[in-house]
Amino acid sequence: MSDDIRYPSEKPEHPYLDSSFSGMLLGTLVSRFCAGCGYGSIGQLYTRVFEDEKLDPNLYPLVIGIGCYSQIFFLVHKNAQKMLTLHGRAPAIATGMKMANPKMKPIIFSGDGDCLGIGGNHFIHLCRRNLDCILFIFNNSIYGMTGGQAAPTTLYGAISTTTPYKMFEPRSDGVELALAAGASYVARTTIAHPRTLMKYFKKALKHKGTSVIEVITPCVTYFGRKNLDNLGSEGEPGEIMDTGGKMFEWIKKNSIHINQAKFMSKEELFNKYIIGEFRYNPSKSEYSEEYKKIQNIAMKGD
Amino acid sequence: MSNGNGKRFLKPGKYLMMGNVAMAEGALSSGLKFFGGYPITPSTEVIEHLAKRLPEVGGCCMQMEDELASINAVMGASLVGAKAMTATSGPGLSLMTETISMAANIEIPFVFCDVQRCGPGTGFVTVPHHNDVGLTRFAGNGEFEVIAFAPMSCQELFDLTITAFNYAETYRCPIFILSDAYLGHIHEVVNIPPKEEILKRVIDRTIPEDTKGAKFTYEDINTHKLMIPKPYIVGTEFCPPLIIHLPHNQDGVLMPEENSLRFMKIMIDKIRDNIDKISLTEEYKLDDAEIIIISYGLPVRASYRAVDLARKKGIKVGIFRLITVWPFPKEKVKKVVVGAKAIIVPEMNYTGVIAEQVERVTDLNIPIIKVPKVATLHHPDDILKAIEEVAK
Ligand SMILES: Cc1ncc(C[n+]2csc(CCOP(=O)(O)OP(=O)(O)O)c2C)c(N)n1
Ligand code: SF4
Repeated sequence: MSDDIRYPSEKPEHPYLDSSFSGMLLGTLVSRFCAGCGYGSIGQLYTRVFEDEKLDPNLYPLVIGIGCYSQIFFLVHKNAQKMLTLHGRAPAIATGMKMANPKMKPIIFSGDGDCLGIGGNHFIHLCRRNLDCILFIFNNSIYGMTGGQAAPTTLYGAISTTTPYKMFEPRSDGVELALAAGASYVARTTIAHPRTLMKYFKKALKHKGTSVIEVITPCVTYFGRKNLDNLGSEGEPGEIMDTGGKMFEWIKKNSIHINQAKFMSKEELFNKYIIGEFRYNPSKSEYSEEYKKIQNIAMKGD
Repeated sequence: MSNGNGKRFLKPGKYLMMGNVAMAEGALSSGLKFFGGYPITPSTEVIEHLAKRLPEVGGCCMQMEDELASINAVMGASLVGAKAMTATSGPGLSLMTETISMAANIEIPFVFCDVQRCGPGTGFVTVPHHNDVGLTRFAGNGEFEVIAFAPMSCQELFDLTITAFNYAETYRCPIFILSDAYLGHIHEVVNIPPKEEILKRVIDRTIPEDTKGAKFTYEDINTHKLMIPKPYIVGTEFCPPLIIHLPHNQDGVLMPEENSLRFMKIMIDKIRDNIDKISLTEEYKLDDAEIIIISYGLPVRASYRAVDLARKKGIKVGIFRLITVWPFPKEKVKKVVVGAKAIIVPEMNYTGVIAEQVERVTDLNIPIIKVPKVATLHHPDDILKAIEEVAK
């Protein structure tokens, strides 16, 4: 492929350039992500849904945790009220926001390390309360920001800077945790399924309760470059995943739809991602509405 | 339906109240709308009282999963415009420092009540120890100033909490109320003024008419004075497009790294420049005093008695009391101690956190005598003994 086909000199105008924060600030889309990273697409998909659904920025604050994805603020909608918070604490901050202004529906961006590592406790209790908000977990199976250490989600056999021989700890599963803790809408998809991601996001916007959407996304720099697509399992020859394309293919191959997974054994599902919708329960009581009832009891005789 | 504001104020009059409850009622009078907390002795009565009282006034009291969640929820609530607070003790405060540091950076106001107990570690949980005085001053990474109040009675817990909320709105820095296990648990008569009187004192959280104006503290280019705007509110037009805890300008736009020093100067000087307005102190029989007691919190009560007893014996002694411990009123202290024969600092810690501050600003020739107590109160005789010793 010649270079001018890969990089056409006349770049087509990006349809969401004007609505992005970066477009507003700099007139062009700026991303601080590595080539092949999934976070750029996620930022754009968020902006698209924001635009399609004409979200009121005053009601949908965007609470962002700490990780590589924090830099997503450049790409998200210019009108979104965005705040970069602390590592793992975004669910707790969103809880305070929602309870002090129940008209709001905070949208939380967090990473796998952010949400299931340091912030695990807040995550569990957010789901338990079924507080009306949307929580995205961007799972790249690694700590990207700090240079490629193992996350609680790192797949078995994977090499990271803190598991130089291989990851040997059992991984934690955000979806299972969310289900056990009581979130009322739980889904997982991947960056290779952008339309599904938008569909889940839009469904979550209409849902009243905690929506947890885990998105499997590639980290080429610290996961792909260091790992074979067989994650060191014996028998199969593996290929190093050093480009976005290769990781994209691996994610697709490694993801199994929930309907299909039902017929597979535990061994067959080892180290795989099960994708799809796991729970949708619109009738579960929501925290801020329940608290309103408490206020009504307390105010009686006022 | 009523918005619940009818229950915000207690009927005026005299009440027998526990310290922790008086503090909570002071907060409600200030317009508290959100409390996030986690049970810890000796602060627990605060969350228990507010769990009942806050929903009555249309507010929310949440028992969070831990102190990290508490303080972050409080910050979230304040971000969307609610007057918010938490109450905890030393171990909880230790967990909260990361968020305090972030809140200082983004200038989000809220109030902490630290009901101090005996440390380090878990320690003795039902006895006082002013061991967090230093921790509050440096609560969190980064450089910023805090304001800390040291009440000494239940009445003051009520009154100073209102002042604390006003300071939070005005100065937009972390605000602490330094209570302790005994002060939080004693029952005393508290005089609740009529609500009109309270309302006159309270600064409300409102947004300015011009929502395009500055959101963060900045230096006025003409006067070179630091201007502290009203706090922004997420979910209104008066909100920066991006809230980020990095050095930023008045609109929230990031500063280049080389301007970080300028940002630190703003964080620190917005308090230091206003120290005369912020710092609250009290003087007792200081006019002719040769021996000066400098103290704060409960030991001041024993000091009053000690001074009266010493005066009867003809010893010229007086008290300089710090009602706000931080920022330390360096210049005021310097003036007060001129010509003093000795300074006595009764404190409820062994280090003498404030004694060290006094040492820092006074003449090296003036002896400074610490009277430390931990896990128990000062007896007036303890202080009297120190007075008589230096008067010899
Ligand atoms: C209290 C605290 N501890 C550690 C860090 C350092 N840190 C920043 S991001 C990060 C990991 C983020 O990983 P993840 O959430 O998976 O996001 P990713 O970078 O992979 O997108 C860590 C450990 C921090 N910022 N704060
Ligand atoms: S390090 Fe990984 S997660 Fe971070 S920007 Fe690069 S590819 Fe993305």
